[in-house]
Amino acid sequence: MHKPNSELERAIARRHFIQTAGAGTVVLALGGVYVLSDALTREARGQTREDGRPRLPPGQRVIQALRPMGGEPGDPSPSAYRLRIHGAVEAPFELTFAELLALPQTELALDVHCVTSWSVLGAKFKGVRVADLAARAKPKASARYVIFEAAHGYTSNISLRDALKPHVLVAHQLDGAPLPRAHGAPVRAIASDFYFWKSAKWLTGIRFSDHDEPGYWETRGYSNHADPWKEERYA
Amino acid sequence: MPDGASPEPARMTRKRKTNFRPWLRALHRDVGYFAVGLTIVYATSGLAVNHLKDWDPNFRQVNRTHQLALPLPSDDDAAAKNALRALGVHEQPREVYRASPTQLDVVFDQRTYHVDTTSGVVHEEGQAARPLLRVANWLHLNRGKRAWTYVADSYAVFLLFLALSGLFMIPGRKGLLGRGALVALLGAAVPILYVVLSGGP
Repeated sequence: MHKPNSELERAIARRHFIQTAGAGTVVLALGGVYVLSDALTREARGQTREDGRPRLPPGQRVIQALRPMGGEPGDPSPSAYRLRIHGAVEAPFELTFAELLALPQTELALDVHCVTSWSVLGAKFKGVRVADLAARAKPKASARYVIFEAAHGYTSNISLRDALKPHVLVAHQLDGAPLPRAHGAPVRAIASDFYFWKSAKWLTGIRFSDHDEPGYWETRGYSNHADPWKEERYA
Repeated sequence: MPDGASPEPARMTRKRKTNFRPWLRALHRDVGYFAVGLTIVYATSGLAVNHLKDWDPNFRQVNRTHQLALPLPSDDDAAAKNALRALGVHEQPREVYRASPTQLDVVFDQRTYHVDTTSGVVHEEGQAARPLLRVANWLHLNRGKRAWTYVADSYAVFLLFLALSGLFMIPGRKGLLGRGALVALLGAAVPILYVVLSGGP
């Protein structure tokens, strides 16, 4: 193997090493910042929601269908399914899947925004409004928060005021078909004005609480409020 | 050797000078060997979960549509049996559930057949676990809790030891007094540059 034997050769070798290492460092750092744009995203960026906010929150890219984002699946059995409405309420109750289907149904086209930066526009969810379930359970005057409880201890939290908005659902259908297992079958929460982890899959309970209880991701470094328009991704 | 005593003072001086590097190298080597298994688990799972938006690292998704010949029997169990026979499925379903007047769900552990009893269209959906990755991700994300927290903490301490001991393993110009310092600084610059360029949290 050739060894640099003069001071000049050593200096050239050192300079080459420094240049290569420096360039590698800059490429590594810039690689994470680069974001690819596309037609769907550009189109959505030109649109505005009814509430005046841009249709696409900052830092999001539009894709065509929901991506399965993992999680420990719950029991997919419709006959074993129970949804518990409880906590700071006057009249706690439990619903079977059939009882849930028998309640007044709402179908909404909603935009969902994942914290990993993809968004799906106009995903059609069918289910029951959380506001309707709350009306039956009668939250106590002290209730301020809603905790979505799901399989294997997963939870997410939103304020009661947000949970009672008409587009917050307990959904069992997606795009006209039964909710797929990867998306939380048989039932998931939908709170689409927040990053999508708030919309707990494999939903088993809705608990009303007089105090806030940060959930699974909220206690692992993610934002407690999770507003996509403020890019509240991390705590 | 009558005058054999003369070299002694020099030897004694050398003895007093302790060389920690052989110990450091040995410890670095053994901690490294010990950490190989955990590193493979964490690194593989890290790559897998780092690209959550591109794929599901835990499950393969099953999504198929089938068409059955009509009419189907009006009895739910008979209709399910008929559908499964036509689809070539020989396992016993976990349950047959009438979700609506037109929809029959035939549920298995890993998949569900949603049968539209009027059109005969069957939507099969489910997910099959990726065996090794699912376990690695389960460990990495500490979904098991309990004792794994201690294992993960110990591994983090091992990694800190490997990083810090690595700095002092080589003396001289290829170590911290030269090339080593430069490469270490470049490595540290990656997160610093990223935070500066991206605006940080």
